[in-house]
Amino acid sequence: MANIGNVSTLPDNEAQSEESLLLGQANRIGEAPKGYFAIHVHLSELRPQYRQPHYIRIAARSFDNLTGAHEATLYILRNADMVLICRDVPVGDLDPPILKLRSLFSEDPLTFGAEGSLDDRFTTWYDLAQASDFAGFLAAVEDLVATAEERVRKAREVGDSPQGAMRGEDLTPGNLTEVNERLQGVRIEDLIRRQSAIEVHPGGKGDVVFQEHYVSMFDLRQRIAPEINLFSDAWLFQYLTETVDRRILSVLAQSDFATMRDDISVNLNIATVLSPGFQSFHEKVRDHAARVVIEIQIIDIFADFPAYASARDWLRDHGYRVLIDGLNPLALQFFDPGTLAADFVKVAWNPEFLAGIPDERVSDMRQAVESVGGDGMILARVDSEDAVKWALGLGIQRFQGHFIDRVVDAMITKGII
Amino acid sequence: MSMAQATETASRQSSQENLLLDYVYRLEKHKDGRKAVLVHLSRLKPFNRREHHVRVAANSFEALVKALQGQLFMLKNCDLIFIYKSDAAPDVETAVQRVRFLFSDDPLLAEEAHADDRFSTWLDAESQFDQILNLAQSLVDNELKRESEVRAKMDTRAALKARQELGEPLTPEILTRVEAALTRADLSNLVRRQFACLLGPKGAPEPAFSELFISIKDMRETMLPGVNLTSNRWLFQHLTYSLDRRMLAMLAKTDHITISGDISFNLNVSTLLSQEFLAFDDAVPASRRGHMVVELEKVDIFSDLEAYTFAREFVQERGYRICIDGLTHQTLSMIDRERLGADLIKLVWHPDMVDGGGDIQSDLRALVRHAGENRVVLCRCDDREAVDFGRAIGVGLFQGRHVEHLIAEENRKRELRRLKARIQNN
Repeated sequence: MANIGNVSTLPDNEAQSEESLLLGQANRIGEAPKGYFAIHVHLSELRPQYRQPHYIRIAARSFDNLTGAHEATLYILRNADMVLICRDVPVGDLDPPILKLRSLFSEDPLTFGAEGSLDDRFTTWYDLAQASDFAGFLAAVEDLVATAEERVRKAREVGDSPQGAMRGEDLTPGNLTEVNERLQGVRIEDLIRRQSAIEVHPGGKGDVVFQEHYVSMFDLRQRIAPEINLFSDAWLFQYLTETVDRRILSVLAQSDFATMRDDISVNLNIATVLSPGFQSFHEKVRDHAARVVIEIQIIDIFADFPAYASARDWLRDHGYRVLIDGLNPLALQFFDPGTLAADFVKVAWNPEFLAGIPDERVSDMRQAVESVGGDGMILARVDSEDAVKWALGLGIQRFQGHFIDRVVDAMITKGII
Repeated sequence: MSMAQATETASRQSSQENLLLDYVYRLEKHKDGRKAVLVHLSRLKPFNRREHHVRVAANSFEALVKALQGQLFMLKNCDLIFIYKSDAAPDVETAVQRVRFLFSDDPLLAEEAHADDRFSTWLDAESQFDQILNLAQSLVDNELKRESEVRAKMDTRAALKARQELGEPLTPEILTRVEAALTRADLSNLVRRQFACLLGPKGAPEPAFSELFISIKDMRETMLPGVNLTSNRWLFQHLTYSLDRRMLAMLAKTDHITISGDISFNLNVSTLLSQEFLAFDDAVPASRRGHMVVELEKVDIFSDLEAYTFAREFVQERGYRICIDGLTHQTLSMIDRERLGADLIKLVWHPDMVDGGGDIQSDLRALVRHAGENRVVLCRCDDREAVDFGRAIGVGLFQGRHVEHLIAEENRKRELRRLKARIQNN
């Protein structure tokens, strides 16, 4: 879900924060440290999604058995980190809960380094009976206290500021109708943005594959409902996109398809493609359908596969090309996009590919490229030249993203596009 | 008729499928010394059957066509049919070999032990004319069916009809009202129970678990007559959050005798991460968790895979099992149960599985074997045909009205035997 928060909303002790309680215990241990050790679990380095309170709450349960049976205390900190302090607990008893915790986050790069290896960024252990370890631990705890204070201060500032209000109230069925009505009436032409997907040829030349046309949701929200967080509920947001579809189609229908320079693409719900509204659009496009790519979201396909098959076949029979959007490298581990028989498959680039991800994930990507075919795969959200180099090595030749926008600008300046 | 409709009708009438059928009708009188070959390009990987591939493949027959040795048809599904004079057989074989060579890197040809049989079908017009005619006829029928399906979906008249039959579409306002009502309503009388069973060779059903679900149809009738709750997928999906919470509350309250045996229930991934589920989990005796299966919808799983993998680890470690619900014969091949770490999958029965033609059955059998026979539940088995088909593709578990019927039958038989025994003893 799009609602990215932090752990500051976890219920904590009103009078004393977890951090100050932790610091208190650390200081007391300093007086008689024999038998004590501590484990710092660096959950603050997880992806933002996993740092949300409901994940951390469940993760913390992994230690329930341990803290119930031994002299062990768990601290859940504001930045999502956890610190476990144990006294005379057999070290082997820590293995099961930590393994459990790692497996919960097995899709997060934080756990990719093998436990105990040099790459292991997941935990840090401190033997508090050793003076040097104790000093290191105390310094770490003091850092955590300072970080927490800083977060509280910032949260307060943001809470009072316009950015704080930006988060806004959640989208609910109750306010959905009003938002939807505003969306139907609002001026939208000037909120339509374009982004090119390009094909890279050997020797650094490139061609535009198509120009994606999309509505900037950030600007749209500013215009129709700045007080509401449109992204707080995935399904209700999806409902709104059906209206966005109708609006953008009616704008695109005004295009002169015969003379436009580049092919275009537009993201639509399957329900939209199968609606009378799309037929009116098609009346305008007619013989130029080959110049239009329809992008369809993967979850829409999973929601109703027969509808997808009908829409895809109709579109392709009438000359349109079909693109599958909304895939990330994680999704490629679980299904083969080649089975969807679309013309293009778009996968979002993830910088984690450059940061030593396990080999099998790279091979999943390679297999997907093979299944879809190199000329059907588009790497989107490309943010660096390294990403392009990495993907060319896999046989991907088509790209989209902010980095590509800059490349396109440069190519236009040099006159090679 | 508008211009557009006129051109569409014209293009339909002259489709390759229709031309083929006309040709086959005429062939009947001249079938002596004619043969046909069907080249299954549709079985190649999608990236190997783009338009230019099909064109190149078709070109292999060009010389033969020009020499009036035969007639080529390029079908919608990319397959080619070439009907030719027997004299030209060696040349035709060479042409098909050439096409085969073009795609030699495709898994169909690279891996299959009997790739030749899968790539082409050879027919003799004299002895196998009926087969050729059936093929041509079914191609035209399928095309018409497909078009009418799409048309029905796009048709205002059809939408109106659906509204009359199924009720007013669900709107955000109605959803707000339903969700508010749901927090108060007692849904226990709307809970239904259906068994998933192993079916032995003699057909005696042996329950593996029973699914508990809230009947949407009955809920609609009691709470919102005249509203079609499932008309908008996304709003309905939102409604399921509320249903999840009611279901959990009921399961936590129900005393454990009334829901004996293993049970399953549908939840959203986000519900598994909610306070309500944690409270439920705390209330359930640890020994019961191993007897509970959580069913998740594939669209929910794929809308947030990070959340799914986390939730799966969490609940499986607690002892629950995971079942992926709602797979169809079209989507089964897209999903790898083992990779998704699910314990079970549910495949929804549909008559198309039988009627859909040639490869479906053997494909499904391979997919079921890959997923594990006793990990696949064929659900919505409303009649005997469904169960028979499931057996044929190796499915181990069955659910649906027909299975309920078999259970009732079995209970009745058992009761009779008991009575008989008692009478004899007396």
